[in-house]
Amino acid sequence: MTSDVADKSGRVRTGDGVTTPSPVRPRRRGIGWAQRLEIAALSGPAILVFVGFVIFPVLMAGYYGFYRWKGFGVPTDFVGLDNYKTILTDNSFHEAVWHNGQIVVLSLVLQGPIAIALALLLNKKMRGQSVIRVLIFVPYVIAEVIVGTAWALMLQTNGAVNDVLRSIGLGGLAQDWLANPKLAIWTLMFILTWKYIGFAVILFLAGMQNIPEELSEAAAVDGASFWQTQWHVTLPLLGPTIRIWGFLSIIGALQLFDLVYIIWGQYVASTAGTSTMATYMVLEGRNAANYGYGNAVAVVLFIISMTIALVYQRFVLRRDTEGALTGGR
Amino acid sequence: MAAVVALGAMSLAACGGGDDDGGSESGGNVTMQFWHNATTGPGKAFWDKTVADFQTANPNVKIKIQQVQNEDLDGKLQTALNSGSAPDIFLQRGGGKMAAMVEAGQLKDITNDITAETKAAVGAALGTGQVDGKSYAVPVSILPGGFWYSKDLFKKAGVAAPPTTLEELSAAVTKLKANGTPIALGAKDAWPAAHWYYFFALRACNQASLDAAAKDKNFGDPCWTKAGNDLKAFADTKPFNDGFLTTSAQQGAGSSAGLVANYKASMELMGAWDPGVIASLTKDTKPLPDLGFFPFPAVPGGQGDPAAIMGGADGYSCSAQAPKECADFLNYIVTKDVQEGYYKAFNSLPISKEAQGAVTEDYLKAVLDAYNKAPYVSQWLDTIYGQNVGNALNIGVVNLLAGKGDVAGIIQGVNDAAKKG
Repeated sequence: MTSDVADKSGRVRTGDGVTTPSPVRPRRRGIGWAQRLEIAALSGPAILVFVGFVIFPVLMAGYYGFYRWKGFGVPTDFVGLDNYKTILTDNSFHEAVWHNGQIVVLSLVLQGPIAIALALLLNKKMRGQSVIRVLIFVPYVIAEVIVGTAWALMLQTNGAVNDVLRSIGLGGLAQDWLANPKLAIWTLMFILTWKYIGFAVILFLAGMQNIPEELSEAAAVDGASFWQTQWHVTLPLLGPTIRIWGFLSIIGALQLFDLVYIIWGQYVASTAGTSTMATYMVLEGRNAANYGYGNAVAVVLFIISMTIALVYQRFVLRRDTEGALTGGR
Repeated sequence: MAAVVALGAMSLAACGGGDDDGGSESGGNVTMQFWHNATTGPGKAFWDKTVADFQTANPNVKIKIQQVQNEDLDGKLQTALNSGSAPDIFLQRGGGKMAAMVEAGQLKDITNDITAETKAAVGAALGTGQVDGKSYAVPVSILPGGFWYSKDLFKKAGVAAPPTTLEELSAAVTKLKANGTPIALGAKDAWPAAHWYYFFALRACNQASLDAAAKDKNFGDPCWTKAGNDLKAFADTKPFNDGFLTTSAQQGAGSSAGLVANYKASMELMGAWDPGVIASLTKDTKPLPDLGFFPFPAVPGGQGDPAAIMGGADGYSCSAQAPKECADFLNYIVTKDVQEGYYKAFNSLPISKEAQGAVTEDYLKAVLDAYNKAPYVSQWLDTIYGQNVGNALNIGVVNLLAGKGDVAGIIQGVNDAAKKG
C-alpha cells in the first residue's frame, strides 16, 4: 500500500499543469536467457514465499471449509456448503458483522476529522513540533499486545481510570468501561483512535507536504484566511491521501482482531458487543475445535474484505489509480 | 527400586517378542521423543530425573525430552501429529480432543500394554484415558474441583465451618461481604464461569443424565435447566468480584487466583491446580499458609449425588508410531516412587493410591478425602462433551452471568453447537 501512496504523491507533485506523456511502448524484444535468469533469481524467492504463505493457505481454507473437521488427521467428512449455511444463520456472526460495520464507520467518522485537524496544526511551523509528532505517533508503534494489556488493566472496574475519577471527586463517572454493552464499543473506539491516529496524521502530513506552497501563498495574496486556505486549497489536494487512508482504515477495521482478543477475551467480547468477524472465527475455529467451520468463516471474511476492497478501488480510488495502473510504463 | 528393575526386565522381554508395530528392533536401541509442559523449576527437574532413571533401568532406550510451554503445547502437538512427526510420548488432557486424535488414528492403543501393577495403582481413574473401552492414555494426576478458601478470612467473618449446603454457602457469602469480595471469578476466560454451571449440573443431574448427554449431546433433561436456574439465583446475590466479566483467571494479581492470593477475595471455585497458581501469585510467591478446600455444597432438589465430584486427570499418551517401550515408560511413571516425586514436584495429587499416603498438606488431604468418598467422579463437562459443546456452554454461561442471555439460551446454544462440529 505504501507504494500506492508514493504513486499518488508523485502525481500530486507534478501538479495540474503537467500532463503525463502518453506512454510510448518500445518495440517488444525477446529477452536473453541471462535476463530471464536474473528475473527468476530476483523475483523467484518472493513469489515462492507469496505462494506458500498467502495463496496456498487461502486455497487450503477454501478446501477445509467444505469439511466437518476436528483438526486431527486428514479431513474426511465432506459436508459441502453446510458450514456456509450455518454461518448465514448464526446470530453471533451477524452480531460480529454489525460490530465490524460500526467500527468501520466510526473509524472513518472519528479518526478522519481528528487526524486532519491535528495534521493541519502540525503542518504549521511551531515550537516543539517534532516532540508533538513523536507523541502522537508513539501509540502506533507500540505493539497491540502491550496497548491492549495496558488499557485493559487501566479500564477495569478497580483500575486506574476509575481510581483517578474517584480521587478527583468524579466517582459518579466511574464505569464498567469494558463489560457494559452500552459503553464497550465506545471504549474500543477510543483505544483504536488513540492507537491509530498517529498513522493517519503522519500520512496526512506527508500529503500536505506535497502540496506546493505557491498555492497557499497565492490564496493568501488573494486575501484568503488560514481556514479558507485549508478548506479550499489543502483539503481538495489532500483528497488522494484521504482516500487511501480511508481504504487502509476500512480494511483494518474489517479484520480487527488483536485488541479485542486481548482486552475482552473471546467470550466476553460477544456479550460486551465488541466481537468481530475475526474473533468469531478464532472462537468457533480454534476454541470450539470446529476447524472446518472456522475455515469457512475465514473464507467469508476474505470474500467480504475483498469485495469491499474492490468496490472501493473501483468507485473511490478510480481517479487516483487511473494513471498509476494504466500508464505505468 | 524393585519396581524399576522389574520393569526393565519386562521391557527387555517385550523387545524379545519381536513385535514390529513400532520402531523398535529386537534387542536394538530405541530413541523416543517426549513432550511435557513443565518448562522450569521442580517440575522440569522431576521429568529430567524420571527419564534418567528409566534410561538407567533400560539401557537400550534413549528418551529425548522437549519442554513445551503450556499454552503452546496444544497447537504444536496438533501440528506435529498432523505432519506425521509426532513425539512418541506426550501430555494428554483427554476428553473430546483425545477422542478426535483416536478417530484420526494418531494414538497408540495401549490396552494390552498396561500392567497389572498399573491397574492396581490407578484403579478406576484409568477410564479417563479410555475411548470405547480401549486405553490411549495413562493418567498421572487427579485434579478435582471445589472451593479454595482462606481460613483466616472465613474466621474473621465468623464463618465457623466450610459450607456443606447451598444455604450455608449463601449465608457465608453474606457474612464475608463485610470484609470484601466473597468469591473470586475470572469470567474473561469463560471456563471458570462455566465451572459454576457444571457443578450446579453435577448436583442437579444424576449420573445417568450426565452420561446420556455425553452420548447424544442432547441437553433436554429438565435438570440442565434447573442447574441454570440455580446458578442464576445464586449469581443474583452478587457474590462475585466487581467486573468479574473482564477478570482473567490466572494471570497477575488482578486475576481471580490473584485476588485469593492477596486476600482480596475469600474463595474461588477451581480445579486442584489452583494451590500452585495461587502460590505463584502471593507477594512472596509462597503457598498461601491458610489455604483450605471444601467440595461443592449440596443443592436442594437435585438428582445428583451430593458427594459426587468433578475433575480432570492429566495423563500421557503414546503416538501411533511410538515404539513399544513408550507403554513401558507410561507404566513406569505411575509407580509409587515416581508418583511421590510427581506430587512433590507439582504439589498436585498423584493418581497412584500407593503414593497418596505421602500427601501432607491439609487442603490436598481434604481434596483426597472428598475424592475417595465420591460415589462417582465426572470429568469436566467441557472435556467430556467435546470442545464445540464445551465452547457453547462457556458462551451460554457468560451470557447468563452478564444478564444478556437466559437459561434457555444455554441449552439452545449447546444444542446448536453440535451442528457445527
